[in-house]
This record gives sequence, C-alpha cells and structure tokens, in this order.
Amino acid sequence: MNRLLRICIALTALVMIAGCKTEGKRQVVKIGYMLCNSEQETTQRFLPLTKYLSDKVGVDFVMVPVDTHDFEKRFKAGEFQFTHTNSLIYIVLHENEGVQLLASEKRGKLGSRSAGTIIARKGSGINKLADIRGKRMAFGPMLAPTGYLAEYDMMLAAGINPENDLGHYTIPPGSYKHEKLIYGVLYGMYDVAAAPAMDIENMTREGKIAADDIVILAQSKPIPYCTFGVAKDADPALVKKVKEALMSLKPTDTAEVDGEQLKVMKAAWIDGYEELLDSDYDPIREMAKRVNVAPFQKY
Amino acid sequence: MFRDVFDKLCWIFLAIVIVSLAVLLYATTGAGNEKRSSGPGKALEREMAYRTRVELIATLYAPVENLRKEGNNQTALLKLDELIRKYPAEGHGHILQGEILLSMGAFDEAVSSFVEGVKLNGDYVDAKSPLSRRVEIQRLVSDGMKNITQRASVNPDNRTLAASRQKINYLKSRLAGGCE
Repeated sequence: MNRLLRICIALTALVMIAGCKTEGKRQVVKIGYMLCNSEQETTQRFLPLTKYLSDKVGVDFVMVPVDTHDFEKRFKAGEFQFTHTNSLIYIVLHENEGVQLLASEKRGKLGSRSAGTIIARKGSGINKLADIRGKRMAFGPMLAPTGYLAEYDMMLAAGINPENDLGHYTIPPGSYKHEKLIYGVLYGMYDVAAAPAMDIENMTREGKIAADDIVILAQSKPIPYCTFGVAKDADPALVKKVKEALMSLKPTDTAEVDGEQLKVMKAAWIDGYEELLDSDYDPIREMAKRVNVAPFQKY
Repeated sequence: MFRDVFDKLCWIFLAIVIVSLAVLLYATTGAGNEKRSSGPGKALEREMAYRTRVELIATLYAPVENLRKEGNNQTALLKLDELIRKYPAEGHGHILQGEILLSMGAFDEAVSSFVEGVKLNGDYVDAKSPLSRRVEIQRLVSDGMKNITQRASVNPDNRTLAASRQKINYLKSRLAGGCE
C-alpha cells in the first residue's frame, strides 16, 4: 500500500512538471499595435487577433498598445518585434529601422487601400478645391496618411499652401479625430476638413451621415493603409507562420478572450489581409517627400 | 346485327362514343393552335420585362452616373453602397463600382467587383445585351493579364497576385462563353 501511494505521488508530480515544462517552453513574442482612437478600443479590436495568432502559430503573442508618436522609439528599444501601424509609420520603420512588410489589412470598398478626401458641407457654397482659400480647415493627426498627408499633398498640387492660404487650420484634440472633423464640417465648426474615405464610408454605412450631406472637393489616389511589419532580424520560420496565419484568416475564425469566443475579423473591423509589395507603398513615399514629413523631411 | 333492342342500343352507344371522341379531338387540336399562337406573345412579354428592367436600372443608377460624370467618384461609391445593400441580387451596382474603382486606380478591387457583377448577371459579357460591358471587360482582362503576369513573375509566391489572376481568368472564361 505504501509503495502504491509513493508511485501515485511520483506520477502526479511527473505530470505536473511535464505540464509546467510545456507551458514554459512557449516562446513569448510581442506585437506593437499603433493606437487608433484609444488604448481601450485598440485592445478590444486586436486582442482576439493576437490570441488567434498565438493559437495558430504556437507562440504566446503579447499585445503592446503604442502611441503613434512613440512607435519608432519603442520599436528601436526592442519592446516588440512585430508591428501593426498605418502605412506612413510602416514607411518610417522600413526606412529607418529596416522593418519588413508582412501583410496589408483589407477593409472597406478599396480593400487594402484607402484614400484621402477634402470635404465641405453640401450647400455651404464651397464646391471646388479653389473655394477653400481663406476658409477654416480641420486636418486629422499629422502622421495619418489619408487624414493629413494625402490632403496636404493634394492642396500643394492645386497651388494652395495650407500654411498661408487658409483662414486657419487645426487638428481636433483627443481621440476619434476623423469622426470629429467630419461632424465638425457637418455642424459648421469647420468649413472644410481632411477626411479619410474609409471613415466617410463607415459613417455613411452606420447611418451617422448621409452621402448627400457632404461635398467631396478632392480625392487622392488609393494608397495602402494598415500594415503588419516585422523586424529584419526576426526568425524567418516564425515570420512565415505569422504570414500564413494572417493570410488564411477567415470570417468564421474565432479566438477566446476572457472565456468568450469572438470572431476575429469582426472584432478587428477588417475584411482580411493581402500580400502587397513594398513598391505598392511608393506613392506614399512620394507624398511624404513632397509634403516634407518623416522619414524624408529636410530642415 | 340489328336484331334486337340490345344490339341497337349497343350500336347507338358506340356511335355516341365515336362522335364524342371526334369532338374531343377537334377541340384539343384547336387548343394546340391557340398555344402555338401564344408563343410570340410570351416572347414579347419577356422582351418587355427585360426592357423595363433595363430602364429601371438606368433610372435607379442615374444619380451614380451623374456623380461619376461630375468626377465625384467617392460620393458615387457611397451612393452605390446604399444601392448594393438595397438590391443585393442586382449585378449592375457591382459593375459600376468596378468601373469607378478602376478609374481610381484600385485595380484588384475593380476586378473583384466585375467578377461579382458578372456572376450575378451574365448579360454584362453578352455583346448583344443593352447592359453589355464586354469591351470594358475585355480591356480589363487584357490589361490585367499583362499587369499581374509581370508582377507575379517577380513575386511567384504572392497569394494576392495569384487570387487576382484567378479572377481575371474567370472573366476570361466568361468572355469565351463559359458558364457560371
């Protein structure tokens, strides 16, 4: 009896040790996610995707929410290996830190691309781009490719210098900047605004605005939008697995978050991923050079 | 033969049956003639329904066409979004969306829209249909083959390019007369 008890204790200990060993063996890899509107929103959107990647790849991915302006600094400090950013931040990281393109996010009518637009309220008397001289304008965040860069570039191309030719321009404070400036135009706070086509599309679909409420004065060519990147020295086998998992993501795929099974794509507001080429980002590089912003700014 | 009453009754009954059959046969032949004469009527009805549909499509999508003519592609896309949600089985919205996306430079998304439109309604590859977009789709296929083949040769493992090539091949097969 005593021997039997000892064997049982030894077996239990063995099973427990084996369990702990397996858990400890899983590699931990961090993904830096650029904050969109708020940390809470970004976490809600991308935690299921991070869990999905962990399940698919067999690695414990950890989500790191990062403020846009801190992104390069924190990546450089080695805080995370994978990056999820807008296309301009991807270019900054690619040019300065050698980050490699992994996958481009699809969302809305333009797929993995979006466009910048300059809008006015219908009936305001502002019907063409030339009419915005001397008017009050709102831009999106300065590092937003379709909320600032594309519009600034279109204005320069039309011979309108935003620094001299507007009444004044501003960037709305706090979160939800894109929505704020669209509502701002609608309710008369601004005369014109730089709005991403994707936000106009979403707000129209959600019934927040009607297509007839606004006039689109100018629109840029579609450019890539949200992008997954990876550090140049990352394990190629791991990179391949992550890419495979992103490319095979389906609307029915779920991940467990706090004991609840959530649809990954629905939670993240995305339609999937595409394999764009780095050269597909060249139009943004050209815009950044013309507008004189990072990573090509000259003083 | 007509010896008793029973024989006579039998013969009378037989005569009635023969006359009835003859009347029935005549009546059936008459109905057949009527059916034959309704053939062109049905064809006319079909033609009228088709023309009405084409006119309805033109009316429904006129605001989108007007926005396109004014160069307001993004607003046209927003209008189309509403129409595609309202008439999900109608291919015309997808075709117009494909044309707008193509003019905006979103080639892969344009191809996807054309594929959706053609899947919903084969008239867009039919040269005789008033809805035909055969020439535009031929041009798209020709440009697409060049564009994608060139990019795919440099990036042979790229799945997005492979998917686009598959869609182009689908349109090519529909142009060649292949069915859904």
